[in-house]
Amino acid sequence: MTTTTADSGELGATPLGEPPGGKGLKTGALGMVSSLVIGVASTAPAYSLAATLGFVTFYVGVRSPAVMLLAFVPMLFIAAAYYYLNRADPDCGTTFTWVTRAIGPKTGWMAGWGILVTDLVVMPNLASVAGVYTFSLFGAHGIAADSSGFWVTFVGVAWLVIMTAICYIGIELSARTQVALLGAEIVILVVFAVAALAKVYGGGIAHSIHPAWAWFDPFKIPSLGALSAGMLLAVFIYWGWDTAVTVNEEARDTRRTPGRAALLATIVLLLIYVIVSTAAQAFHGPGFLTNHSDDVLGHLAKDVLGSPWDKLLIIAVLTSASASTQTTVLPAARSSLSMAVHKAFPKRFADIHPRFLSPGFSTLVFGAVAIVWYVGLTLISPNDVLANSILALGFGIAFYYGLTGFACVFYYRRHIFRSMKNFIFIGLAPLLGAVMLTILFFVAIFYYSDPANSNTGNQAWFPALHFSFHIFHWHLYVKKGLGPPLVLGVGLLLIGVPLMVIWRLRHPEFFRRDREVAESVDAPAPPLTPGVTPVVD
Amino acid sequence: MAGDIVLGYDGTDGSKAALRVAVSVARAFDAPLTIVFGYEPNPMGGETADYKDQLEKIGSDMLRTAVAEANALDPSVQVEPIVAALRPAESLLEAALERQARVIVVGGTGERPILGAILGSVPHKLLHRSTVPVLVVPADGE
Repeated sequence: MTTTTADSGELGATPLGEPPGGKGLKTGALGMVSSLVIGVASTAPAYSLAATLGFVTFYVGVRSPAVMLLAFVPMLFIAAAYYYLNRADPDCGTTFTWVTRAIGPKTGWMAGWGILVTDLVVMPNLASVAGVYTFSLFGAHGIAADSSGFWVTFVGVAWLVIMTAICYIGIELSARTQVALLGAEIVILVVFAVAALAKVYGGGIAHSIHPAWAWFDPFKIPSLGALSAGMLLAVFIYWGWDTAVTVNEEARDTRRTPGRAALLATIVLLLIYVIVSTAAQAFHGPGFLTNHSDDVLGHLAKDVLGSPWDKLLIIAVLTSASASTQTTVLPAARSSLSMAVHKAFPKRFADIHPRFLSPGFSTLVFGAVAIVWYVGLTLISPNDVLANSILALGFGIAFYYGLTGFACVFYYRRHIFRSMKNFIFIGLAPLLGAVMLTILFFVAIFYYSDPANSNTGNQAWFPALHFSFHIFHWHLYVKKGLGPPLVLGVGLLLIGVPLMVIWRLRHPEFFRRDREVAESVDAPAPPLTPGVTPVVD
Repeated sequence: MAGDIVLGYDGTDGSKAALRVAVSVARAFDAPLTIVFGYEPNPMGGETADYKDQLEKIGSDMLRTAVAEANALDPSVQVEPIVAALRPAESLLEAALERQARVIVVGGTGERPILGAILGSVPHKLLHRSTVPVLVVPADGE
């Protein structure tokens, strides 16, 4: 038996009466494999595919692989912003802190709100997918088909309770278990894709189509609106892999690890998404995916892998969803903790549970709100919980990732033109990523403002509202009501504005700060709120 | 620096009992006492900086109480607190290695063995991995 772990270093003594000197303590820096695993597991490929495939094909038909490729571009660009901003200021507030520094406290507060709202919007989707696939696992397809029924909702709520408890108590899987689970998930997805393609080329599969190069051509998508809707969905499937970039804050001296891990994570994800989406729609055609959007992988697995092997794919979706729930609850709790530490949120959100050492209050509040939100959404829009939550999600992601891109350019503006490398990685890429996401955001607002475009059976909210859009004499449409994804996605973001105003009136401290600009690309930034970091009195 | 008594302290009743035992062991051997609080946020959640700062603060507060308690029990025992950004069991093993510890003292899991089984109990890990003797003190017995 050895007594030490390979990559843990020496301990630093912390004499009391002095600041604990957090930076002096050597911590367990993560290696390449761990960073890669965390990045990919946080993105949760099996769950992301299960949640989006049917909806992507609804908007773009056979071009879904093209959308998967295209959505990757802004995400890659924004990852550059994450990488460089995290180098200046590794902080659990991430976008909240960075935007506050670079653009200002009001925008920063809204960015923080954007993170919380986005994390909240995804929760009903996770719960619902977990509920549906749990029943599929046990062959109860009748119950699974009713994705807003009592039993699916019941299991979904139980899922949220258990996952919140896991985060609250602080249960962690060992690194080895995580690697094994993720490895299994990827192997199963690849086996599924290969088996599907082999059967398609073998012939005799109903509605099967052979893959064609045109599937990868985004310019064949009929309308800009459909393209943005598809893109907003596909942006979601990459959501989370930035953790591979930011998780390695400790390894400041091993500069190359996080970059390489992120790059590898990207390649893995991109390949999985393109291969699986191609194979899935080749098997029974894109229409099948759209018709079974709530349980798309469950239905496909039955025909592709046969019983009982199809259960493996269902299990992969469930383990993936559990990783994804965890990597939603933990960062949400940490973001609100960070906001509370910087006095932008009620103080209680910074509370640490003395026994479990988790951000206890933040975690419980987030879990409780997520459950209320999930049940509420199920009651308001039965049968469309998955669709509404997944379509709405893109707004939040585009909002705060976009702000991150702009923050990077702003913050490093004095350094952009100092070298070609700077120009590309802290100037051009973040800016392009941010601009792309902003365009997506606004085009999607127009697109989803028409309830007919929301894949939810023409369901309109606020039918009393009456809209007509004209551009010069070009009559776009006249509609009553708003599409639910727009109301959910943008509405929740907008609720942040009055909340921010209230907070500002009652606690103006946070809002009294000046913008900052980076002194250097390499040096860490000074603490955001002076006196917040090492405080020992 | 050699022959330290290394104590794991997290503010629980078990660790308080362990503190009292550790002080008397330190006095018996005339050895310095090192009190360790270890923490490591789950890396699955991404960025951890503020969270770590908060944990460090909690750890420092706990250790301040522990040092005061140890001094009150026996002012002659030399006490050094350590906050370590490592998992509790790792931080104790590291500290023991660095200080060439005579013994590691920890509190038992007390009346909540199931929780210990889920979370992974520190004494259990230490008993398997430590190369120095481990003394496990039950919460209510001294």
